Amino acid sequence: MQVDRISSPLKLLTIALKTGRVTKKYPFGPPLLTESFRGAISIDPAKCWGCGACVLVCPPNALTMRFEEERAVLEYFKGRCIFCGMCADVCPASAITVTKEFELAATNLEDLKEGVIHRLSTCAVCGKPFAPAAELRDVMKMHPIAEEYANICPECRKKRTAKAFGLSFGANI
Amino acid sequence: MSAGEVVKEIEGKVVELGGIVESITETAVFVEVPRERVRELADWLYNSGAFLKTCAGVDERSINSKFAVYHIFGLDEKGLDVVVKISGLEGEALPSIADAVPAAEWCELEARDMLGLHILGHEAKPRHVLPQDWPEGVYPLRKDLSYDYRPSGNAEKFSEELPREVGLPIGPYHPILHEPEYFELYVEGERVVDVFYRGFHVHRGIEKLAESQRFTYKTIPFLAERICGICGFVHSSCYVLAVERAARIEVPERAQFIRSIVLEIERIHSHLLWLGIAAHILGYDAGFMHMWRIREPIMLLAELLTGSRKTYGINIVGGVRRDMDESKKKRALDVLKNVREEYKKFVEVLTAVPEIVKRATGTGVLPKSDARALSVVGPTARGSGLKRDVRKDYPYFAYKHSSFKVPVYSEGDNMARLLVRVDEVFESISIVEQLLDALPKGPIAVESYEIPPLRKAVGTVEAPRGEDVHFIITGHGRPYRWRVRAPTYQNIPALKVMLRNTPLADAFLTIASIDPCFSCTDRAIVIRDVRSGSRRFVGLFEGRRYASR
Repeated sequence: MQVDRISSPLKLLTIALKTGRVTKKYPFGPPLLTESFRGAISIDPAKCWGCGACVLVCPPNALTMRFEEERAVLEYFKGRCIFCGMCADVCPASAITVTKEFELAATNLEDLKEGVIHRLSTCAVCGKPFAPAAELRDVMKMHPIAEEYANICPECRKKRTAKAFGLSFGANI
Repeated sequence: MSAGEVVKEIEGKVVELGGIVESITETAVFVEVPRERVRELADWLYNSGAFLKTCAGVDERSINSKFAVYHIFGLDEKGLDVVVKISGLEGEALPSIADAVPAAEWCELEARDMLGLHILGHEAKPRHVLPQDWPEGVYPLRKDLSYDYRPSGNAEKFSEELPREVGLPIGPYHPILHEPEYFELYVEGERVVDVFYRGFHVHRGIEKLAESQRFTYKTIPFLAERICGICGFVHSSCYVLAVERAARIEVPERAQFIRSIVLEIERIHSHLLWLGIAAHILGYDAGFMHMWRIREPIMLLAELLTGSRKTYGINIVGGVRRDMDESKKKRALDVLKNVREEYKKFVEVLTAVPEIVKRATGTGVLPKSDARALSVVGPTARGSGLKRDVRKDYPYFAYKHSSFKVPVYSEGDNMARLLVRVDEVFESISIVEQLLDALPKGPIAVESYEIPPLRKAVGTVEAPRGEDVHFIITGHGRPYRWRVRAPTYQNIPALKVMLRNTPLADAFLTIASIDPCFSCTDRAIVIRDVRSGSRRFVGLFEGRRYASR
């Protein structure tokens, strides 16, 4: 029993010798990641419509959509990203891919931000900018029937419908 | 007695007390009793073997202009939750059940703080959750308070809490300490005579945040996962389980299996982490290094199966987001085989090292009677001879398809809790292997679902630290009320019993022995000598200095 009490802890030596060194020579040597790893996302500006589906599902609000004068900016802030990949799951244009990038440290906060700038197309009736041009283009490709009213902003569309509805009842508009 | 008969009996008792049975589901009975009779019902339930899981205060003024408190009891033997509701108008006093069921004290104090309820017998007690400088009359969980409300703060008020003795006001908010939790140990020489605990310094208001427009049913699992950095998947699983029970969503079997597998992988890594930390606290650093070396392949396995080492992010309401193919299954089995061999070899050493055995045996004893009264959970309960395990008692996900033992030790000391965890790792490895072998084919998530408002449900999942409870009242687009009770919430009150009349040097291991995971773990300790009145602040790991003296 006494022998056991001393010899058991010593077994650690054989375990340690057999295992050898396990410290990895990061960043040299083979990559530490498995193939399933989810890192930062990358947005392909050529494919992105600017529909904002990713903005709606993003749990930490890392993806935001900002409307300025005649453009819409989809901004990706890596500092908030939790790398869940929900945006890639919902993207209807497959513009978002999950990369294996994880070395994201930057000395400047702005370096953690990426964005896609969309030109807004203007309403055929009132002339105000209202929706990303790329979104309209692709929606019309998918639903050709939408062509005649897709270039009108929702506000004017509402007015037009109300007017047509009123006229059919003989209202004096 | 079968579950059906038990439900009948509860129904009888509730009607006898003038209450009503709201609804009965497979896993829970929801009842409402007049508030003056709730103590009788609580007493009766407690004496017929029920454990108190938690209670939840709810602001239901927008539904029925009342405040309500839901006491959630669990009949372990029947696998049945009994949710007892009491309610009252604003300002009306609600009775406390803490004298009949001691475990209710914390959650009643929390309901008092967060909702401004008048709970009889708790009026004079100091604030429990809210900080000392929180303004009077502002109650965070009332629906009329915005989730982004920020009090202006009044730092001067803190001086009231400072001790009369000379001492440096370091901690609980000191930035270099691991996390801001506060134990004050009163010592006479080397003996601890009393313990004071003040927690909730890192209360993040997650429950309130989830009720805001910011979140939806779909995004809350990711928020829930961030409640804990070690057992995050437990929280997201528990949330989706509660929502699925409330909305009666049938989750595909394959998703259930994947959830169980990932939960067990999380348990393995968590226990290995704890065993390493325990060795570290006791000054056996070789043990710490080797335990964490063995843990590393498990972390990589988690990444392979889910896409991330931690905060896996694969749980959604109605299923999971990542599937496992044959090659992943095979690799997982290989990893588990190696880990089991290595772990077995090393655990033999760990449990024979005198530093561990002598320091852990007979210290921090929690007698079974106290464990029962405080309704402690997880390895803390199983180390004190209580056979409680949610996986067996309230089967969820795919656990019914695997066979495993629930290790129970009756000594109630630190060694017993350590051995429970040692055994559980083997059981978990075996569960994962069984489930991987039996993984059924099919979809991994339901296509669509609807969540009707004002349904209630309780989700319970066995976390590495014990039973995790989520209580949900569904709302429109997001929960109306989401109550989270992490296992450590139930275990901390037991520390008072464990620490009293023990040598100071053992306090560090004893506090660590419940595997504390506040939101998350925080570990600052104050030592105060009763005779000289001096104070010292030390981190948990510094306790090793005392060990070597």
